[in-house]
Amino acid sequence: MTSRRSFVAGSLAATAAFSTSRFAFAQSLPAGYPADYAALIAKAKSEGRVAIYTSTDESQGQPLVEAFKQTYGIGVDYNGLGTTDVYNRVISEGAAGQMGADIAWTSSMDLQMVLAQKGLLETYVSPEAPNLPAASLYKNIVYGTSIEPVAMLYNKNLLKPEWVPKTRAELVKLLQEHGKELKGKIASFDPEKSGIGFLLAQTDLASTSSFWDLAKAFGAAEGKVYGASGAMREKVVSGEQWLAFNVIGSYALQWQRESPVVGVSFASDYTAAFQRVASVTKGAPHPAAGRLFLDFMLSERGQSLLASKGVPPLRMGYKGPLDADEMNKLTGGNMKIIPVDEKLANNMAPRFRADFFQQWKKAMRGEG
Amino acid sequence: MTDLRVSGVEKWLGGNHILRGASFEASRGSITALLGASGSGKTTLLRCIAGLEQPELGRIDIGGTCVLNGEEGLALPPEKRNIGLVFQSYALWPHRTVFDNVAYGLTLRGITGRDAELRVFGILQKLGLSHLAERYPDQLSGGQQQRVAICRALVYQPRVLLMDEPLSNLDAKLREDARYWIRQLILELGICAIMVTHDQSEALAMADHILLLENGVIVQSGTPMEIYSQPESFYAADFLGTNNVLLGKLAEGAAIGGDDWQLRGVRRGQVTGGLGESARAVVRTERIRIVDGPGDNHLEMQLDACLYLGSHWEYRLTRGGLAIKAHGDQPLPPGPVWCAIAPESVWIFG
Amino acid sequence: MSSTARLQPRAEMRGYRLAVIAALVLFVMTPVGLIIYQSFLDAPFFDKTSRFSLEAYDYVVTDPEFWSAFGTTAIFAFGMVAVAVPLGALLAFLLTRTDLAGRRWLEPIVLVPMFLSSIVLAFGYSVAVGPSGFVSLWLKETLGLRLWSIYSLGGMILIGGLSHVPNVYLYVSSAMRSLPSDLEEAARASGASIWRVSLDVTLPMVLPSLIFAAALNLLLGFETFGIPLVLGDPSGIVVLTTYIYKVNGIFGTPTYHVMAVVAVSLILVTLPLVYVQRLLLRNARRYAAVGGKGARAAPLRLGASGQLIAWGLIGLWLTVSVLMPIGGISVRAFVNAWGEGVRLSDHLTVSHFAQLMETPSLFRGILNTLALAVIGGAFAVAIYLMIGLAGHRNKGPSGALLDYMVLLPRALPGIIIGLAFFWVFLFVPFLTPLRPTLVSLFVAYLIVGLSYGLRIIQATLLQVAPELEEAARTSGASMARSWRDVVVPIIRPGLVGAWSLIMIVFLREYATGIYLMGVGTEVMGTLMVSLLTSGAMDQIAALAFLSIIFTAAGLGLALRLGARIHD
Ligand SMILES: Nc1ncnc2c1ncn2[C@@H]1O[C@H](COP(=O)(O)OP(=O)(O)O)[C@@H](O)[C@H]1O
Ligand SMILES: [Mg+2]
Repeated sequence: MTSRRSFVAGSLAATAAFSTSRFAFAQSLPAGYPADYAALIAKAKSEGRVAIYTSTDESQGQPLVEAFKQTYGIGVDYNGLGTTDVYNRVISEGAAGQMGADIAWTSSMDLQMVLAQKGLLETYVSPEAPNLPAASLYKNIVYGTSIEPVAMLYNKNLLKPEWVPKTRAELVKLLQEHGKELKGKIASFDPEKSGIGFLLAQTDLASTSSFWDLAKAFGAAEGKVYGASGAMREKVVSGEQWLAFNVIGSYALQWQRESPVVGVSFASDYTAAFQRVASVTKGAPHPAAGRLFLDFMLSERGQSLLASKGVPPLRMGYKGPLDADEMNKLTGGNMKIIPVDEKLANNMAPRFRADFFQQWKKAMRGEG
Repeated sequence: MTDLRVSGVEKWLGGNHILRGASFEASRGSITALLGASGSGKTTLLRCIAGLEQPELGRIDIGGTCVLNGEEGLALPPEKRNIGLVFQSYALWPHRTVFDNVAYGLTLRGITGRDAELRVFGILQKLGLSHLAERYPDQLSGGQQQRVAICRALVYQPRVLLMDEPLSNLDAKLREDARYWIRQLILELGICAIMVTHDQSEALAMADHILLLENGVIVQSGTPMEIYSQPESFYAADFLGTNNVLLGKLAEGAAIGGDDWQLRGVRRGQVTGGLGESARAVVRTERIRIVDGPGDNHLEMQLDACLYLGSHWEYRLTRGGLAIKAHGDQPLPPGPVWCAIAPESVWIFG
Repeated sequence: MSSTARLQPRAEMRGYRLAVIAALVLFVMTPVGLIIYQSFLDAPFFDKTSRFSLEAYDYVVTDPEFWSAFGTTAIFAFGMVAVAVPLGALLAFLLTRTDLAGRRWLEPIVLVPMFLSSIVLAFGYSVAVGPSGFVSLWLKETLGLRLWSIYSLGGMILIGGLSHVPNVYLYVSSAMRSLPSDLEEAARASGASIWRVSLDVTLPMVLPSLIFAAALNLLLGFETFGIPLVLGDPSGIVVLTTYIYKVNGIFGTPTYHVMAVVAVSLILVTLPLVYVQRLLLRNARRYAAVGGKGARAAPLRLGASGQLIAWGLIGLWLTVSVLMPIGGISVRAFVNAWGEGVRLSDHLTVSHFAQLMETPSLFRGILNTLALAVIGGAFAVAIYLMIGLAGHRNKGPSGALLDYMVLLPRALPGIIIGLAFFWVFLFVPFLTPLRPTLVSLFVAYLIVGLSYGLRIIQATLLQVAPELEEAARTSGASMARSWRDVVVPIIRPGLVGAWSLIMIVFLREYATGIYLMGVGTEVMGTLMVSLLTSGAMDQIAALAFLSIIFTAAGLGLALRLGARIHD
C-alpha cells in the first residue's frame, strides 16, 4: 500500500516540477521535432480535447494523462475498455463515420493490426519514431509503447517452494506431474475473452513446441481462465488459485511489492513479451491533439511517466526503472518480443481462430 | 317540456343483450324512477344516458339536443351532455375538499372566483353543508357525503340530474328523510331527474313516474298508483307490494283453482292460456281479510301460526298445497278460519 | 336487431393513445427488429459488404458450444426455479398465513435479495463462500467442513435460486393474502396438521400464482448474466448470455450477426414464457376483481416448535442470501488482500474508495448512476405514466398491442437491448449526438425497466375507482382533463413510490450499459463488468459496496414512501 501512495505522491511532485518548465518546452522543441510542430500544438490546443480508447488501466495511465493536461492544457477523455471492446468500438464507430477516439491504445497487437489493415487508423510520422526499435513500428501507423514480458504469479503460502517453476519446461512438467494436487488451482488468460490472452497463446504456439502439452495438462488439472491479469491476482492472493501463468509481468512485479503472499517468477528459457501499441484513428474528432498525445507517450518524459506506474518503456536510450537492462535480467535474457508486424493479422482469420479454439476447448476438457 | 327523450336504446355488453330497446320521456320538475330487479339493466340505461356507456342502437335527446343517434353515428361524450350524475358510491374526489368537489363543474364551465363561491355556498347552504366546505370527503358521514354528491351534480344547473341508487348507502332512518328532502329539492329547483332504484317503496314515495324494467325492457310505465294498482304483467304485479302467488289452473269464468280450491278473479296482462291450463294469480296480502264464515270467494283455510310484526300480525294459512299470508290487527288462535278475497284483487296471469 | 348500422365504441383520446402506442412500438420494435434483421446477415449490418444470409444461423446451430451453452442455460433456469419456487412459496405461507413471530418487519427484509444486482451478489459470494472465502475458511478451521465449489453449475443454481426467492414470494404472498381463511380453518378443525393444510388446501388454491412465478423465474434464469459471468466463466461454464458476450472474441471481429442469432434463440425461448405470463396475469386480474373483498385471514398457529423451525429456516436463508454476499462485499471493499493465510486485520484500507474518488471515470460513474437513478427514474415514471394512461381503461385492440409491447422487452436480456440501442444511437443520423450522453443509456434503461415500471403504474392506476373518473366526466371534464384533475392527483403517492422502486432498478442495472457505455456515460454496474475484464478487483469491491449502500438507501426511501413492491 505504501508503495502505491508514494507512487501517487511521486507523480504529483513530477507534474508540479514539470509545470514550471512548461513554457520552456513549448518554445524550444526537443531535438528532432520539425519546426512546424508549434503549429500542431496550436491546432491541438484549439481542439481542446483528446479521446483515448485503451485497455490500459486508468490508474496506470493517469500520470501520463495528468502530465499531458498540465503541459498542453488539453482535456483527456480516458476510456478504459477491454482489448476486444477497443477494437469493436473503433470498427463500429468507423463504419458509422462516428469515430469517438483519437487514440487507440491497446495490448492486443493483432487486433490493432486488423484495424490498420481495414484502414481505420491514420498514418502519422511521429517525430519520436527514430527513437523506437524497428520491431515497434508498423508503417508509421502502429507504434509500440511498452514491452511487457509475461510472468508466473504464485501464492507463496500455498504453492510449495520446490514447485515454483523457473522455466517454461518446469511449468509444463509441474502441470503434468502434479495435475491432481493442483486441480483447480492453476489460472491463465482466457484466449476467448481476452485479445491479449489469444495473442500470448499464439506466440507460445509459434515459439514453443510444448504449447499443446501445456494446454492439455492445464485442462486436465481443471485450470481456470480469466479475462485479465487483475482477476488472476485476486484469485492468487486469496488462495483460490495457487499459480497463474502468462500474467502481465509489470503488474505482477507491482503486486509482489504490495502483498507478502505473492511471488513472481519469470521463465528463463522462454518469456513472451508483447507490446502495448498505439495509433491515431482515421476520422479522429481531434486529430491534432491525438497526434500530440501519441508523441507525448513516446517522448522521454511520457515513457518515464509510464514506467512510474510499472509500464516498462521501450524507447531506445531510456534508462531508469524497468529499462531494458532490468527487464532482460528479470527474464534471464530469453525475452521473445512479439514484433509489431503485419503477420499478426493472420491471427484474426476466422477459419484459423475457429480451428484453434476447437483444439483449445478440447485441451481444456483434458482431451487430446 | 321534455328534457330527456330516450328511444329504442339497445346495448350489448360482453356478448349479452343488456338493453333491448328502452324508450321513455321525462320532463322538468319531475322525478322518473327506473325500477327493477337487480341485473335488470337500470344502471346500464342510466350510464347510457350519461354517455358513460355507449349503446349500439338508439337515440337520446337531452334538452332538445341530440346526444346520441345510432343512425347518424353521433355520440357525444359525457362532458358535452349537460347532465349531473350522482353515483351510488357518491364518488367524491378524495383529494379535494367539499368546496373544491362542488366547484369543479363550475371551473370547467369557466365560472371561477366570487361567482363560483356564491353558487357553491348557495347550494351547500340549501343542503345544510356550508360549515363543511373545507373538509375532505373522508371526514364526512355517509349522509353528508351523499348531500355533497348531490350538490356537486346540481351546482352547474344541468338539464338532467341522474341518480344511481342515491339512498342505498344510507342507513334506514336517513333514507326515509332523504326520500322526502330530495323530492322537495327537485320539485323546488324544477329539475328533470332520473333515479335508479331497486327499492319499490323508494320509487313509490319519490317518483312522479315509474319505469319498470325487466331484462332490459321497460315492461310498464306510469304513475306510482298506476304501477301499483294496475300491473300489466305478472312481473309487475309480483315486483311491487307484498304478495301471495297462487299456482293453479284456469277455470270457468275468470277463475283459478287447484285440487280442492277455487277463486274467482280478473284476468290481467296478455291472455294466453285457455281453460285447464296452468296459471298464476297474485294477491296483495293487504287484500285478504279473515272473516267469520263462508261467503262469495271465501276460502276455508287452516291458520298455522300468527307472527307479531309490530304494527300488525301476519297470519300463515294453508290448505293442502296452498300457502297464503294475510294481515290483521289481532292475534288469532290456530285452527280453521275463513279468508275473504274480493275477485278484483285476484289478478290472474296466464 | 335491424339492419341499421351499429354505433362503434367511442374512441376517446384516440390521437393520444395512438401516438403513445406508436412511439412505444417504435422504441421497442427498433431494437428487436434490428436484432432480427442483423441475425439474417452475414456481417455487421453497417458493413457495406453484408448480404442476406443464413450463415450465422448455420454457424450457431452447428456449434456444439452453443448447444452446450443452451443446455447449461436450461439446466440453470430450471434448477433455479426448482430452488426458488418451493422456498418462495414456503416463505409466503409462513409470512402470510401463520402467526410467525416478527413477520411484520420480516416482510421488507425478505425482499432485499431482489434488489441486489446479481453481479454484486456473485462477487460477494466469491469472497464469502468461495474456496478461500472467509466463511469457507472459518468453516474449514472450526468444523473441518468443506463447502462444495460455488464455481460449479450446482453452486450457481443454488445462488441464483436463493436470490430469486423474493420474486416468487411476492406473487405467491399476494395470492395467499386474498385467500379466505375459512377453508384452511375447516381443514385445521377436522384435525389436519398445519403442514398438511398448507399442502392440501393452500397450495392448490395458489397454484396459478406459483405457475406464474415459475414462468417468471424461468425467464429470468434464461437471461441471467452476472452470476454465470463471475462464477461460471472461469471454469468454462457458459450460458447463452455469456456466450453472446464472448462470441466476439472467438471470431476476433465483431460477430454481431452471430450474437443476434443467439439473441433470437433466446427470444424464441422467452417469448412463450412471456405469453404464458400474460395469460395468467389476465386471469389473475379477473380473479382479483371478483374476490379480494376483506377476506380477513386468521393466521394459523405455528406453536412453539413450529416457530422455532420456521425461524431457523428463514434465518438460514437470510444468512445465506443476504448476510453472506453483503458481508463478503463489505469485507472485500475494505481490505486489499484476503484468503488463505491472510489476516484481514493486516490489510484494512480505505484506499479503494480513495481510488474511486481519484479516478475520473469511476467517480463520474458514481455521479452518473445517481443521476440516472434519481432524475432518470423520475422521468421514467413520468413516461411510464403516459403509457399507462394510454392503456388505462382501454379495452380495444390497441390496448392488447400495448400490453405486448410492454412485455416484449422482458424477453430480451439487458445486454442485448443495450447493444441494439448502441447501434441505434450510432447509425440513426439525428440521434448520434446523443450517444455520448446519458440520454442513450436512459432510453435503454427505460425499455429494460418498461414491463416492471408499467406493472407498478398500472397497479396504481387500477386503485382509482372508475366512478371517480366518471364523476369528472359527467361534471363536464374531458378525458384528458379528468386524468389531470382526478387520476394523477389521486395516484400521486403511488407515483412517488414507483419512482423509488424504479430508482433501485436503475441503480442496480449493469448489463444494459455493456455496449452502450462510453466516456462520460459510465455507470457503476457496468463499470464493475468492464473492470472485471481488466481485473481491478479493488475498485469493483468498492463500487459494489457503494451500490449496496445506495440500494439500501433507495429501499429505505421506498419503504418510507409506502411503495408497494411488485415483481
Ligand atoms: N361490463 C359488463 N360486461 C358484461 N355484462 C355486464 C357488464 N356490466 C353489467 N353487465 C350485466 O348487465 C346486466 C345489467 O346490469 P346493471 O345495469 O348494472 O343492472 P342493475 O343496475 O339493474 O342492477 C347485468 O346482468 C350485468 O351482469
Ligand atoms: Mg345498479
